[in-house]
Amino acid sequence: MILQIIVNGILKGGLYALMALGMSLIWGVMDIINIAHGAFIMLGAYCSYWLFTLWGVDPFISLFLSIFFMFLVGYAIQKYLINLVIRATIFITLILAFGIEIFLNNLALVMWTADVRKVQVPYGAANFNIGTVTIPYVRLSAFIIALVIAGIFYIVLNKTRTGRSIRATAQDLDAARLVGVDVAKTYALTFGMGVGAAGAAGTLWAILFPINPMMGGILTLKSFVVVIIGGLGTMFGPIIGGLTLGVAEALGSNWFGATYENLISFTILVLVLIFLPRGILGKRE
Amino acid sequence: MAQRGDTSKKVILGILIIAGIAIPFFTGNFIIRFFTNALMFAILASAWNIIGGYTGYASFGNVVFLGIGAYVSAVLMEKGGVPFWIAFPASGLGSAVFAVLIGLPVLRLKGHYFAIATLGVAEAMKALVDNLDITEGNSGIYLPVMNLSVKAQYIFFYFMMLGVLALTLIVTYVMLKKKLGYGLIAIREDEEAAGSLGVNTTLFKVTSFALSGFFSGLAGSLYAYQQGFIKPESVFDVGVTVKMIVMAVFGGIGSLLGPLLGALSIEIISEVLTNYFLVAHTLFFGAIVILAIVFTPKGIMDIVSGRKKFGLNYLLQNIRDHRV
Repeated sequence: MILQIIVNGILKGGLYALMALGMSLIWGVMDIINIAHGAFIMLGAYCSYWLFTLWGVDPFISLFLSIFFMFLVGYAIQKYLINLVIRATIFITLILAFGIEIFLNNLALVMWTADVRKVQVPYGAANFNIGTVTIPYVRLSAFIIALVIAGIFYIVLNKTRTGRSIRATAQDLDAARLVGVDVAKTYALTFGMGVGAAGAAGTLWAILFPINPMMGGILTLKSFVVVIIGGLGTMFGPIIGGLTLGVAEALGSNWFGATYENLISFTILVLVLIFLPRGILGKRE
Repeated sequence: MAQRGDTSKKVILGILIIAGIAIPFFTGNFIIRFFTNALMFAILASAWNIIGGYTGYASFGNVVFLGIGAYVSAVLMEKGGVPFWIAFPASGLGSAVFAVLIGLPVLRLKGHYFAIATLGVAEAMKALVDNLDITEGNSGIYLPVMNLSVKAQYIFFYFMMLGVLALTLIVTYVMLKKKLGYGLIAIREDEEAAGSLGVNTTLFKVTSFALSGFFSGLAGSLYAYQQGFIKPESVFDVGVTVKMIVMAVFGGIGSLLGPLLGALSIEIISEVLTNYFLVAHTLFFGAIVILAIVFTPKGIMDIVSGRKKFGLNYLLQNIRDHRV
C-alpha cells in the first residue's frame, strides 16, 4: 500500500518536474517569474486534445507538434512583448505575465467554453504489476518522456552554441553582448524553449487528467513550489523538486485526506523558502 | 514645472474629496455599490503601496490580509456574537498581527523569493481556511444581517470604505514625513546601506508590512459584512492581489495618490468592458493589463500631475527605456 503511494507520487512527480523545467529555465536565465506558465501548459493540452479529437492524432505523436507550436508561441511573446519591458523593475514582468495569463485563459474560455474535456486514448487504462505495485503504462511513459526532455534540455544548454549563449546571457548580460551574443534573440529562444517544455507537459497532462481552460492557475503555483524546492540554476533542480513534491503530496493526501493536498504543497513552499532559500540543489552564495 | 505639478495635485485631491463625499447623495444604489467596491480596491492598492511601493518588497500575497480580516469578522460576529464595532478593529489588528508573525521570517527574503513566499502564504491560508471547522470550510460562512434599510446600508458601507481609505492615505502621508518613511525608502533604494546607517531594517520592514496588513484587514471586515457571506476562494483569490498591484502600478507606485487613481481608472474600465462585452470582458481586461504595463510601466501619475506630457513620444520613450 505505502509502496504503491510512493510509486504514484514518483510518477506524478516526473510530470511536475517537466512542468517546472521550463519555468526554471526562464526564471534562471531572464529573472522572469512566468506566471503565465500554467496557461501555456493549458494551451499545450488543448493542442493535443484537438489534434486527437478532430483528426485522431495519437497524443504521443502530437506531443512533438505541441512542443513545436508552443515554442513558436513562446518565441513570439518574448520577442514582441516581454523584451519590451524586460529591463524595468521585477514586478513589471511579473504583472505582464499575469496579463498574458488572464488573456490566454479567457481566450480559451471564449473559444472552447468551460467544459471539462478528456483525451480518451484506448490504451488509457492498461497497466502492469511489479509485485503488489500497479503501474499504468501511460503514467510510466509520461514519466520517461519528462526525463528524456530534461535530458535534451541538459544537452542543448551544455553542448551547443545556442546553449552557451543562453548561459552566457544568464551570467552577465553586458558581457554576453560584448562578445557578440544577440541578447534579444537569445531571450526569445530561451522563452520559446521554456514554453515548449510547458507544451509537452500540457500534452502529457491531457493524456492523464481531464482538462479545462482554467486548469493553469494551480499548475503555475505547483511549478513554483517545484522550482523553489529544487533550487534555481541547475537542470536537476526541477527533477529533484518534482519528485519531492509528488511523493510529499501522495503521502500527505494519504495521511491527512485529499483536501489537504494544496495546504501541504504551499506549506512546503513557505518552509523551504524560509529554511533553505536556495532550494535543495541551488547554488550557495 | 514642480510647482505646476503641486498645484494640479492639489486640484485633483480637492476634486476627489468633494466627489467622494457627494457621490452617494446624487446617485442610485448601483453607482454607490460600484464606488464602494472601487474604494475597497483603492484601500488595497494603497496598502500594497506601503510595502510594495515605498519599501520595495513586491508582496504577491497581500490578499491574505483581506481574507483574514474578512474571516476574523465573520467568525467573531457569527460564532462569538461580537458586535461589528468590536469585530471591525479586531479584523485590522488580526491581519496586522499575522503580518508581523509571517513578516519576521519572510521579509528576510528578497525580490522574486519574497514575492513567491507571500504568494505561498496566501495560498496556504486559503487551503487552511478551506479545511478548518471554525470557518465552516469551503462551504463558506454567513454573517449576521444588518438592521438597516437597503439604501442606508449602501451609504453606510460607502462611507466606511471612504473613511478607511482616508485613514490609509493620511497615515501613509504622516509616515512619509517621519523617520519611518525615510527609513522605508532607504531600504528600497539600498537595504545594506540603510542598515549600516543605523536603520533597524527588520523593525521598519515588519512595521510597513503590518500597516499594509492592518488597512487591508479593515477593508476585509467591511467587505465581509457587506457581502453577508464569504468563501475562502473569493476572499483569498490570487486575482485580487494581482488586481491591486496592477492598480498601484497603473496609477504610479511609490506615490501617495497613484494607487487611488489607478484603482478608480481600472475599476471604471472593467465596468465599462463588462457592460459592452458580457462574455469576453476578462479577455479585454487581460489585454489592457498587457498594454498598460508595456506602455506605462511608471504609471499615469506623471501625466496626471503634469510632470510629463502625454503623447506617442511618451509611450515610445517608456519602451526605449526598458527593452533589450
